Amino acid sequence: MGYSERSGKDILGNRSLFFIFISAFAIVTLLQHILNGKNYIKRYFELTEGSYDYNSSTCRELRNDITEVKVLSMVKQSELFERWRTLQLCKWELNKTEANTARLTNCCNAIQNFTVTQVNTALGANLTYDAQPKKQITITEDIFNLLPQEMPYSRSQFKKCAVVGNGGILKKSECGKEINSADFVFSCNLPPLSNEYARDVGHRTQLVTANPSIIKKRFQKLDKWRRPFVELLQVYENTSVVMPAFYNTRNTDVSLRVRYALDDFSAPQDLFYFHPRYLENVARFWGRQGVRAKRPSSGLMLVTAAMELCQEVHLYGFWGFPMDPSGIHITHHYYDNVKPRPGFHSMPNEIFTFLHMHSRGVLQVHTTPCR
Amino acid sequence: MNRDSALPPRSVFCFTTMWSIWKCYRSRLPVGAALCVFVLCWLYVFPVYRIPDQKEIVNDVLHQPVWRRNQTATTAFRRLLENCCETKRMFAVTQHNSPMGKNLWFDGEFLHSLSVNNEMFAMFPQDTPFQIPLKKCSVVGNGGILKRSACGDKIDKADFVMRCNLPPLSNEYARDVGHRTQLVTANPSIIKKRYQNLMWSRKAFVESMKVYGRSYIYMPGFSMKAGTEPSFRTYYTLSDVNANQTIIFANPDFLRNVQKFWKGKGVHAKRLSTGLFLVSVALGLCEEVTLYGFWPFSTDLEERTISHHYYDNVMPDTSYHAMPEEFLQLWLLHKSGILKIHVGKCGQIPM
Repeated sequence: MGYSERSGKDILGNRSLFFIFISAFAIVTLLQHILNGKNYIKRYFELTEGSYDYNSSTCRELRNDITEVKVLSMVKQSELFERWRTLQLCKWELNKTEANTARLTNCCNAIQNFTVTQVNTALGANLTYDAQPKKQITITEDIFNLLPQEMPYSRSQFKKCAVVGNGGILKKSECGKEINSADFVFSCNLPPLSNEYARDVGHRTQLVTANPSIIKKRFQKLDKWRRPFVELLQVYENTSVVMPAFYNTRNTDVSLRVRYALDDFSAPQDLFYFHPRYLENVARFWGRQGVRAKRPSSGLMLVTAAMELCQEVHLYGFWGFPMDPSGIHITHHYYDNVKPRPGFHSMPNEIFTFLHMHSRGVLQVHTTPCR
Repeated sequence: MNRDSALPPRSVFCFTTMWSIWKCYRSRLPVGAALCVFVLCWLYVFPVYRIPDQKEIVNDVLHQPVWRRNQTATTAFRRLLENCCETKRMFAVTQHNSPMGKNLWFDGEFLHSLSVNNEMFAMFPQDTPFQIPLKKCSVVGNGGILKRSACGDKIDKADFVMRCNLPPLSNEYARDVGHRTQLVTANPSIIKKRYQNLMWSRKAFVESMKVYGRSYIYMPGFSMKAGTEPSFRTYYTLSDVNANQTIIFANPDFLRNVQKFWKGKGVHAKRLSTGLFLVSVALGLCEEVTLYGFWPFSTDLEERTISHHYYDNVMPDTSYHAMPEEFLQLWLLHKSGILKIHVGKCGQIPM
């Protein structure tokens, strides 16, 4: 009242007050952002990746931050990401005892049971389908002759293995060199390895899974042309292709036909079929770890096998969330953005388990770009 | 009855007419007519004319004067065939005669058709792939009469050699059946039987096709429902390995017309044999046609028993083809100088 009388203007009238409040609020928010941002920036500058030792107390705490999250739904996803991001500050080291116990509790005996071979499956034996326990297939002479003699791998044969998933996180990761430097590379579902991706995913693989659904969709079950399929496989040189032929009845014919197609063109690739018992055991093993899904993904199969065949397991391209740890949206695969049918796999659960294993030092999950 | 009496007079009249028609039906006339139709149908299906038996035919063959081409008869017959079937344009399915969206009515099925789609259209050749007219053609049947005939050289001398049903051409037979092939028919049932429908391994098939060199494989892919799939798969298989052989599909319209044509001449069978189809194609495409290995009897001219095929002795289902009738027709053509059937031996075989 008094002011307005003195100056003749209503400086602190309703409208001005309103404006002042808004500006103050904006300034405070801005400051907050700047401060926080500074925090981030500070953290980023001071603590680059791998700057802490594995055994330092900070790192132990950070690892504990992850392992104390027992179930994925216990924390917010952003919180988990934050913790995971800070854990990147620590160097990763293989924890031999943990790795060994993980290997001991490992169920599945990949050395003998990984695939169906002439050694572990007799002529005339009955195999029970994994997905259809009531159905069996008899190994007739025709099928028996298609089977490989024996799995050519032995326990802890390879020093460093890379298991390469197809997650969009691999895009622009430049991890190709690191992946290529591994002794043995596993990859999933016939991924494209052409030159445009070689920088990010490497150009070689020794063992690749192939899903019959791909062959059904893209190659008409090999009923028509077969050359395109065999030509596609040429990228993989002489890798071993592994197919879940005895997962369910629908897969069998297509998978067996792949063997014939490879023979038709004298292709150098070896073909193996997952043993249904192995699939079952793996599913049960991971179920105990908290991964419950209709069917375990082929990535999970490979990780399980890699844990037995290799001393050190590195995972690339395994990230089952729609955004990367810093919250930026990523494509579903590094080569496309085709989402799978929902309800089959529970990727976040699988990844979460891998993060746990990473913290325990059993395997290393790579989610940041490689330098 | 009670209800009838309640009806108005018009309805009563109606009722009586119906009754009288019903009564008429009970007379013998319609029954006789039905019987008559039945007998006519019967005669149509199983005609009661007499096929000369084997001895007569053998006698006829033995006492045949030297064969000479009859140009006028040939021209006349060819015109007849051209009028019915248009062999040159129609014998295979081409992009020309079967444009996209055309319905191909299967000739061996009752009312079944397939419309030409993009994928099928790409399989067809643009137009009839031969240099027409062809000059000298040999049509080689698979009859046991070819065994130890030494006709190989003579067959190979022709410009164009046609064979039936993917016959074996290995070295042991080359002396009798030759080794050149320009056109060979392949029955989808063979693909199904010998190569498991090409569902599994295809190598064996591709290897076995190498015998036929750079030839056309003539498949009746649009005759039976069950034959389409194997024929397409054969196409895919051969195109996969860039084989020398080219698949052409028999045009169902052509096959139907040819069947009608020969039916009019008195060949009554469920289906003509591949041999007769091939002879019809040859008569349409070539100037001079010679047949080898066409002899549907179990003994040769000297009354020695011969096998059914030159390579095996597997008897076919007898009710399906009417081989003797077909042979008779061909023999008539031979006698009138339109084509030449080679029955005897072509040379001496060292024992």
